[in-house]
Amino acid sequence: MVATVLRLKLRLLANTMQREVWRVILVVLGALWALSMVPGVVGGARWLAFQPLEVRSSALVVVGTVLLVGWTVIPVLMFGADETVTPRKFAVLGPDPRRLAPALAVAATLSVPALFTGFVCLASMLAWREEGGPTTAFALASGAAAFATCVLASRVVTAFATRLLSTRRARELAGVLGGLVALCAVPVGISLGSLGLEGALERLPGLATALSFTPFGAAWAAPAAAAAGEWAGAFGHLLLAWGFVGAGMLVWVAQVDRLMVDPPSTVGAARRRADAFVGEVGAPGPTTTARLARAVARRALRYWLGDPRYLASLASTLLMPLLIAVLLAVVGLSSVSGAVLVAPLVAGAVGWGRHNDTAFDGTAFWLHVSAGVPGVADRAGRVLALSAWAVPGVVAIAVGGAWLAGRWDVLGASLGLALGLYGAGLGVAMVSSVLLPYPAPRAGDSPFATETGSVGASLVAQLVATLATAVLAAPVVVLFWLTAEGRASLGGVVLAVGALGGVLVLAAGVVLGGRLLDARGAQLLARLT
Amino acid sequence: MRLRGLTKRFGETLAVDRLDLDIPTGTMFGVVGPNGAGKTTTLSMATGLLAPDAGLVEVYGVDLWREPARAKPLLGVLPDGLRVFDRLTGAELISYAGLLRGLPADVVAQRRDDLLAALDLAGAARTLVADFSAGMTKKITLACALVHAPRLLVLDEPFEAVDPVSAGVIRRILAQFVAQGGTVVLSSHVMALVERMCDHVAVIGAGRVLATGSLDEVRAGADLEERFFDLLGARGPEAGLAWLRPS
Repeated sequence: MVATVLRLKLRLLANTMQREVWRVILVVLGALWALSMVPGVVGGARWLAFQPLEVRSSALVVVGTVLLVGWTVIPVLMFGADETVTPRKFAVLGPDPRRLAPALAVAATLSVPALFTGFVCLASMLAWREEGGPTTAFALASGAAAFATCVLASRVVTAFATRLLSTRRARELAGVLGGLVALCAVPVGISLGSLGLEGALERLPGLATALSFTPFGAAWAAPAAAAAGEWAGAFGHLLLAWGFVGAGMLVWVAQVDRLMVDPPSTVGAARRRADAFVGEVGAPGPTTTARLARAVARRALRYWLGDPRYLASLASTLLMPLLIAVLLAVVGLSSVSGAVLVAPLVAGAVGWGRHNDTAFDGTAFWLHVSAGVPGVADRAGRVLALSAWAVPGVVAIAVGGAWLAGRWDVLGASLGLALGLYGAGLGVAMVSSVLLPYPAPRAGDSPFATETGSVGASLVAQLVATLATAVLAAPVVVLFWLTAEGRASLGGVVLAVGALGGVLVLAAGVVLGGRLLDARGAQLLARLT
Repeated sequence: MRLRGLTKRFGETLAVDRLDLDIPTGTMFGVVGPNGAGKTTTLSMATGLLAPDAGLVEVYGVDLWREPARAKPLLGVLPDGLRVFDRLTGAELISYAGLLRGLPADVVAQRRDDLLAALDLAGAARTLVADFSAGMTKKITLACALVHAPRLLVLDEPFEAVDPVSAGVIRRILAQFVAQGGTVVLSSHVMALVERMCDHVAVIGAGRVLATGSLDEVRAGADLEERFFDLLGARGPEAGLAWLRPS
């Protein structure tokens, strides 16, 4: 079974690479990056070998934690980076999940990041080579456990996230949890920031001890204990590490078993409800365009509430700004706290995040083309649906951030920057989603699935959207920086420039995107198929 | 509807090759052809869903690709192989289609209820289209094509996966529509159905029109299915699957 799945995966990879040069370039770049890191990893491990035992131990536990966090977060963040062989595709063949699940896990190690992780786990042995044979043996056994934990964790988390987002109740729960995590990230960032980098490092050994009893650090603590001569501890940590691997495998087998007979249904929202389209939206509007835009907005809002793909894409766009905000808080910029920057970062990401909006309609977009909906109405409807919840949300985050940071003086500037970035990002998105659509997961598919053959297109579209947003938002960013650097009197100016500029860019995006849509509706539809 | 020199190329494949076709007003027009003949491509180009590489589409004298805002309101479209906004309920999807066509709300509400009743979908009005069967999805999409009372209906495989009772209902609706002066173009694989319903037909093969005209002209005294095989040079019984018998 293992060999069959491996061969299948290699064949699929080869076929996609033949079809798409971009993927080859990406793999080669990834491999080059990994190779360039090899001397650093080996050097680091050798350097660690000359450090005191406690330093070695804490440092490796932190490395292991970062690796595992990466392996659990990134698969969710990057839509289906590795979904070439999924359990669901084997369902019709009816294989034994207890044989299929391990084979799928082994197949998952066939990627540049996985091979690199494997190398890091192996290289950690170098840090223990002076400690004698038994310790090296422990390092080898625990390195393998750490690697297996990473690979299994990514499988389990992806399957779990897909399932979690597929039922309505769970989706609400996920939304609440996500909100809580986001809210917690800020205070944690601030407290870390107040500790400073050195203060945080001082607390590391305590943290490492705690982590060494979790899947994050258990494997990495075993050789340290062996080197210290604590054989009981060494065996304990090693057993714990392999115990986590075993538990992960059991969970993965159960997940594969369930995925094959009971795929997550991706229709979660209330399945029966009255038609709310006529009445609310259909009320006579000032113009036909306004009426059509309201109809489109109502439809888009239905999708925001009832389609997990939207939530998944939102979650993945939000993770990055939140991480940046926390990092900024930790590094501790003198002039401005991370808490103040959360709202602008989130606003920019939410607006920019719709740069592939039309592709989420999929081929259902024919209804707009066939009805000859004016492009402006189509664009405006999408903007209305997003803004209905995103603008109040951003304002709330900005106020909350200013309150947490105790920087009411920069609230105006923060809000101005947020609105400016939102307008610029969404304005660009309204144009780029007409010009540069790339395949999105289809309604009903896993929100984490990615269409094969879309890597190049998605990279180009994301790059163009990012650059255009950055250029358009440059004035308000510069003004914000001046304010934060001490000219607090400029706060009002930033707010005015951000709000007005944002609205202007957004309006321009709607009009330009609408014109392009009028001219290229059918061509766009052909690319969504 | 008039198609002149319609051409569409997908990479190496020439899907539709300088196709000319006239569909007289007030006819029930059947388009038949084998898989891959270019039926769906042709109908997509004729309804504004796929831009042709070359050629002209005229709907009641209006150039569809030059003046879409004037031509599209005249058309009701049921495409094949395209999805619908299936996170809406059946009723919502019809309302959405009606609103997108610019109809006032009260008219939309009235027609939505009439269509749901006529197509026997009233029980599914409050259910998400994603939970519909294939045939029900076909029917709700047909309702979307009818809601703005177009002059010309272009239906790609309207009877696929539809049960016999519903097919009968749809046939009566379409016949009534034609009797009142409307025009219907439909494609199908089922010869008997086309023979029974349509007064005009076109046989398409390899992206060209092989024969077109009134039903009697095309079948020329024979069965439509026989004519179809003649025109396409049909093959004999399948050889080479000698092993395919119950084991």
